[in-house]
Order: sequence, then C-alpha cells, then structure tokens
Amino acid sequence: MNLKKITGAIALSAVVASSLIASNTVKIGVQAPITGKYANEGQSIENFVKLIVDEKNAQGGLLGKQIEVVTCDDEAKAQKAAVCAKKLSNAGVFAVIGSYTSGATEAAQTTYYRNKVLQTSDGTSDSLIKRKYWTFFRNSFPNSSQSDFTALYMVKGKQYKRIVVLSDYSSYSAGLGDATEASVKALGGNVIFRGKIKSGVQNFTATLTKIKAMNPDVIYYSGYYTDGGLLRSQQQQLQINADFVGGDSNDNPDFYKLAGKAAEGTVLINFPTPEILPYPEAKKYLSAYKARFKMDPPSIWPVTNADGLRAVIEGVEKTKSFDTKKIAQYVRQMKDFAGITGPFNIREDGERVGAKFVVYKMNANGTKKVVTE
Amino acid sequence: MDTFLQQLINGLTVGSLYALVALGYTMVYGVMKLINFAHGDMVAFSAYVGLTIFTQFYGSNALSLVNIVIVFSLTAIVVAFIGVLLERLAYRPLRTAPRLSAVVSALGASLVIQNGIMLIWGPNMEIFPANVFPSTSWNFGGVIISFTQVVILALSAVLMISLYIFINKTKIGTAIRATAIDQSAAKLMGINVNRIIMTIFIVGSMLGAIGGLFIGIYYRGLTFDMGWLYGLNAFIAAIIGGIGSIPGAMLGGLLLGLFNAMISGYISTEWAETFTFILLIIILIVRPTGLLGEKTAEKV
Repeated sequence: MNLKKITGAIALSAVVASSLIASNTVKIGVQAPITGKYANEGQSIENFVKLIVDEKNAQGGLLGKQIEVVTCDDEAKAQKAAVCAKKLSNAGVFAVIGSYTSGATEAAQTTYYRNKVLQTSDGTSDSLIKRKYWTFFRNSFPNSSQSDFTALYMVKGKQYKRIVVLSDYSSYSAGLGDATEASVKALGGNVIFRGKIKSGVQNFTATLTKIKAMNPDVIYYSGYYTDGGLLRSQQQQLQINADFVGGDSNDNPDFYKLAGKAAEGTVLINFPTPEILPYPEAKKYLSAYKARFKMDPPSIWPVTNADGLRAVIEGVEKTKSFDTKKIAQYVRQMKDFAGITGPFNIREDGERVGAKFVVYKMNANGTKKVVTE
Repeated sequence: MDTFLQQLINGLTVGSLYALVALGYTMVYGVMKLINFAHGDMVAFSAYVGLTIFTQFYGSNALSLVNIVIVFSLTAIVVAFIGVLLERLAYRPLRTAPRLSAVVSALGASLVIQNGIMLIWGPNMEIFPANVFPSTSWNFGGVIISFTQVVILALSAVLMISLYIFINKTKIGTAIRATAIDQSAAKLMGINVNRIIMTIFIVGSMLGAIGGLFIGIYYRGLTFDMGWLYGLNAFIAAIIGGIGSIPGAMLGGLLLGLFNAMISGYISTEWAETFTFILLIIILIVRPTGLLGEKTAEKV
C-alpha cells in the first residue's frame, strides 16, 4: 500500500460520496476546444449539448434527475485533454461528449476508461477504436469508411477502368490514399498509378505529365484543397482528359478559386453538410439550434456529437440506470436509432457503422450540387 | 518523346522563375559578399503586392496589355523601394561589422518581412485571379505550352539578356563590376559605392518582384511563408551556377528547374529534393566555385 493508492482511494470515495449527496442532479461532461483554432467547432458542440440537455430537463430530466453540463476546454491539445479527462472524471460526470479532434480524444480515452466514464467523439481517426475500450463509442464515421465509399463510387458507380490515386505525404492524406487504393483493388478496380505529391510545392506538372502518358480515366486526390485546387488547374492546363475526384479535405471554397475554370465538373466526396441532412430529427434540432444560437452549426461534427449524447440519454432511459457499463452495452445493441445524422448503429468495438457520404459536383459558378449515389 | 519534351517545358518554366529570383541573391553577394536571406520573402511580398494592385484596380475583369504593364511596373517600384529600405535599415549599419552579424541581420529581416506579410494579409491562403493572362494554350504534337508559360519564358529571357547588357556594356554596369572586385579601390576611382549598392538592391528587388508576380500568376495560391520555398531553391540555383556570377545564376536556375522536373517525372517526387542536394554537393566538390564562378583568392 503506497501513498498513491491511499490518495487514490480517498479521491474515489470522495467522488462516490459527492455523487451520493447530489442525488437529484446528474452530470454530463463536455470536453471540447472552446478556445483556439477550432473554437467555433468546440463552442458549437457545447451549444448543441446544452440544447438537448435543456430540452430533456424541461421534460422532467433523466430518470427524474436534472442534468448538469460540465464543460472543460481542451484547446484541441493532447496535454490539456489529459487534464480535462481527470477534471471531468473527478467532477463526477457519467458521460463525456467530445472532444472535437482525434488527438485530444485519444489523449483522454484511457482516463475515462479507468474511471468508467462513457465517452463519445466525432474524431475520424481509425486509431480511436484500436484500444477497444468499452467506455468509448464514435458518433462520426472513420476515415476508412470514406475509402470504401469512394472506391464503390469510382469502380461500380462510374465504371472507371484506369484509376490514378494521389495523396500528399501527411499521415492523414497518405493513409486515406492507401486505404482508397486497397478498397479499389478489393472491388476489382484497376489502380494504374499510386503517387504522392509534396504539399505546398505548387508545381505538380512533373507528376501530372508522367500520369498523362498513362492515359487515366480518373485522378483521385486524398489531400487538402490548397494542393488539390492547383492539381486540378494544372491537370487542365496539361490537357489531361480525366475526371477529378477529391477527398473530404478538398471541400473548401478555396478549391474552386485555385482550380479556376477547371473547377467545373470536379467531384468531391464528403460527409453531408448539416443543411442537407434529410432526416426528420435533423429538421427539428437544426431549426431549434438556429432559433436559439442565431446561426447554423459550422460543420457536421457538432451534430454527430449531439447524436452521441442522444444515444447516451436513450441508453439511460431504456436501461433505467446510470450504470455506464449497462448503457454502453445498450448503445452497442441499438438498431437504427433515429439520429440527426441518420440511423445510429454502434459496433461491438465502439465504431459507428453505416457511413453516409455525399458526392458533390462543382458548378461553373463555384456552387456545389449533390449528385445521386 | 512528347512526355520528355513536356517535362522539358515544365522544367524550363520553373527554372526561369528560379533564375529570376537567383539573380537577386547573386548580385547582392557579388558586390557585398552578403547572402541576402530576406530576398525569398521579398519575392513572396511582391506576389502579395501584385495581387492587391490587381484586385484594387482591375476587379475581376480580364486585363488589357496596358493594365498588365502598369501592374508589373507598380509592383516592381513598390518592391524596389522596400528593397532599398531593407538595405538602409538592415545592412548598411553593419557594413563594417563582421560578416556573421550581417547574415544574422538578413535572417532577422527575412522573419520581419514574413511576419509582416502575415499581419497585413493574414495567415490564410490568398488566391490570384485565374484570368490575368488568357488561358490559351498550344498543342504541338502532344506537348502543351500555355500562354502564361510563353510569357514567363520570353520575359525572363528578355530580362536576363538586358541585365547582361546592363552589367557588361554600360557605365553603371562597369562601376558595379568594379565595386564587386574591390570596394575601397572603386571608391578611390570616384565611384559612389553607396549608390552602386542601392542600384544593386533596386535591380535585384525588381527582378524578384517580376519573379514573384509570375509565381502568383502561374501557381495562384499565395502563402505568407512561400518565400522560403522559392528562396531556398533560388539560393541553391545561385550556388550551382557560382554565387556572384550573373550568367551563373541564370544557368543555375534553368538547370535546377530541369533537374527537378526530370527527377520528379522519371524517378520520384519523394526523391527530387534529395537528388537536388546530392547534385549540389557533387558540383561543390568538383567545382567549389560553382559552374561559372570565378576563382578568387579569399582574404584571410
């Protein structure tokens, strides 16, 4: 018995004691970047949580208890995330929504697992479910689901016969590029070239000239818009008559500006933006959000986090308990729970399955239109 | 064959941009024995200035030849002014100081300009309009040359030839060459060294400004730290050609562009930078003064 264990035991009993005293309220944590580069996303996650919690409280609360929201700002930094995880666990929350980035989510995972606190995040990195913690489930879709969807679109949908896959050297882009190449091959598609470009060098004509000689049907690029737009414009300048399909990070207005005239007809594959979600829950909650906060959520991610929270609430109400183990098991068994972002299904390892992606085509004036899958 | 020719055109276009920028390094080094690390950032600054003038005065309409000449001249004048200011503030007070002090001052100036760009225009990417030059291009049996490429190649060639004539055939050019050989002896011959150095900065900055504008028009995406990328490549070009030598900078730039395009095209983009530095090392081992550099006895 060392000092650490004793203090640990005291802290634990303090947590138990405090949760016993405050028996008419129950706490839910929000771990999100409230300040810093992703502040708008983090604040929107907090807002959406408050919206749903207030709705629940007005209906009489959760199993008769009022929900209290405890927010911790992790600034999208791993170190701060670890501190937040301890802080929120000590505050006695039974579930945590967030964080926004995969990095900050991963840094907090183990602490929540040890404290038996549920955690749900929109992080898309495949590594988030590697540790198979029962406390964690993802409310968005992993990067690997994008590659499967993209491959299906290119091989089965458009019937491309000669596919070029390009990425940059970043782990996100190269990972998505490799995954897409593998998915295309798994569908029996023909990847004639898998290349990498250096992000930021601006001159991609050497690689494109090499590709031109291979006569591709389509060029798929899994990197960011700053390079994707230039790639598309230089592709047109070199008169390479292939379609261009971009991964989710190409979906930015600057892609259109960089690609110029060549932007027209470019295809982008991304998660649906909030305003085009077709589900009844989406209409209800997004208009409530807009009415209260006077703006739309900046992206789909705060909305998927809201779905994570709604799944937890559903779990509490159906199991009639705050036992996190039971809730986690229930969430993993739900069949097509009606989420704002579509049917909500969680696999045994905490992965959300049934990914929905949208194919956009760029118009000449820079607007996008959804093309049917 | 057409793939090879296309890579040749690609390489020459980038190469002439490197050459224009490399001239700024080599001219300053030739006269002051100073590596002006801020030059790359001046190039980035020119692209931003050019973009601002374009959007301020001409909106999004296609430009006439007169307007283009005005924008290029205005940008060159603004950048030349900043170049002179840079020399006055960062280099002239250190002219008699040890060489290391001047190098540190140059690195500082580079950071000041880079951060200045970020504060004025913001950290996000700025984008040049696509219609500065007509998007016409010609197809010669599978080899495609765009109008912009033709302008870049032609104007770079004209500028380099004029510079060569200016340095070798005019009185000021002779004075510049004299100052490069020996500053104090040049002073004794009645040459105003300060004025010569100012001229060098004006000409070097103007060439950099044209290079920056071409980079903006050709690649369109501007980031505040882009000067580093072009600065480094141009600096390597200047060393390959022999730093201090004006034809050397031109040759070095073109060679570097071609070499990069061929490595990227036929081996791998991943290895392009590695091979570039290997080339640099080999050239420095075989010819320490660069391809066209003159052998000079270093004062110790």
